[in-house]
Amino acid sequence: MTAIGTRLRAIPSWQITLGVALLALGFLIAAQLSTEGPRIRYTTQERPPLVETVLELQRQQEGLKERILALREEIQQTSQASRGSAALVRQLNDDLAEARLAAGLVALVGPGLVLQLEDSSATPPPDGIEADLRVTARDIRTLVEELWLAGAEAIAVNGERLTATSAIVDIGGSVLVNQAYLAPPYQLSAIGPADLYERLSASQGYTDWIVARVQLAGIGAAFGEFEQVEMPAFAGTLGLDYARVEPSAGTP
Amino acid sequence: MHALRSQIALTVVAFVLGLLVVAQLQSQQTAPALAGVSSQDLTILVANLNTRNDQLRTEIATLDRELGDLRADRSRGETSLDQLRDDLLDVRAFAGQEPVAGPGVSVTVAGPIGAPAVAELINELRNAGAEAMAIEGVRIVPGSVVAGAPGGLSLESTPLSDPFEIRAIGSPEALTGSLTRIGGIVAQLGAAEELATVTVTPVERMVVPASERNLLPRYGKPSL
Repeated sequence: MTAIGTRLRAIPSWQITLGVALLALGFLIAAQLSTEGPRIRYTTQERPPLVETVLELQRQQEGLKERILALREEIQQTSQASRGSAALVRQLNDDLAEARLAAGLVALVGPGLVLQLEDSSATPPPDGIEADLRVTARDIRTLVEELWLAGAEAIAVNGERLTATSAIVDIGGSVLVNQAYLAPPYQLSAIGPADLYERLSASQGYTDWIVARVQLAGIGAAFGEFEQVEMPAFAGTLGLDYARVEPSAGTP
Repeated sequence: MHALRSQIALTVVAFVLGLLVVAQLQSQQTAPALAGVSSQDLTILVANLNTRNDQLRTEIATLDRELGDLRADRSRGETSLDQLRDDLLDVRAFAGQEPVAGPGVSVTVAGPIGAPAVAELINELRNAGAEAMAIEGVRIVPGSVVAGAPGGLSLESTPLSDPFEIRAIGSPEALTGSLTRIGGIVAQLGAAEELATVTVTPVERMVVPASERNLLPRYGKPSL
């Protein structure tokens, strides 16, 4: 016993320190290698250039959308500042302003609520499907419909204003709204009556969704009611390539 | 002597350790939302983004031209009433406030079908580029939701008969192709909604009526 004690004491303290440090080093090297494993595999699939391309295209899209909003604003300003056959021009401009409001081309602010959805952090059961733990386009569509039915008058998902032509679709594990890629968490902003949340939570469809997706699948859902929900304007194209206003039906 | 050696050794180890910690943290940070997306899906995403960005560029070019015309008019002391009227009609058509006509598809749904299935059809038509839609003569606007139980569906208090018709204006080829492709929505509904039959017919010209709803916001105010 004393012999071991003597031997222990005989090991210089720097060796022990070095030993501990080397042990930590070993752990880190192992951790580093294990995280690099999949990334090396992606490289062989040319994944990083694709990710770069997606991010670059998204950056471009943001810029393009801002440009559209700025141009529309400028057109409106210029148009309203025009003189001429004053009364008729003013009437047309007023009608245009109203139509833009109805079309979702104008940013709004008003009372409402924000729902936030996050992927489940649960590990999938051996017989389960991992995709069930992610927030899907169907989840977002269900909640959007419930919000409309509860009386919402304007809805946006992560800053994408919903219009009559807005599709909400899955592409692999991601969600596209108005063809724009959205990253989780997903925020559904809605403007509506003061009792919007009460009406929403009283709906069978909403409670069914909560049970299936939040309580069972573990999707993270949070909500907040606000006096001033900011609703962005739709920044896409009107995209009327095939549809023409039907003159015979007359204009109101 | 020992003290010097140990100090050198520790310095080297600490240096390497520091490098590794930083590398580790960095490799963990590069796990954004796209980390879970496969290369194949990324390729689709790139194609989608390209299409959308091209559309946005076209829109910018149109708006630029419009602004240029407006300014030219203004400098001449004129106002282009035609331009204003065209704009007004376009925006009203997009909003659903004007009846529109054009080519497209007629989708007939026969037999009991669930409201979510109809919502999926509408969503798929939107995704395939439908520009204006109506179900049984009721124009689809942002808040339009088909509700009710199979056999008793309604849209904005209009009951849907059996069979009922969805009209969508857009490219007949693109709309038909997207709905009826292998594994597409019609095939999926065929499996999930066995009692219902969905028929897609390309149409050369059809009319989609204006919405009867007041589409102006009541609770929200334009934000400046």
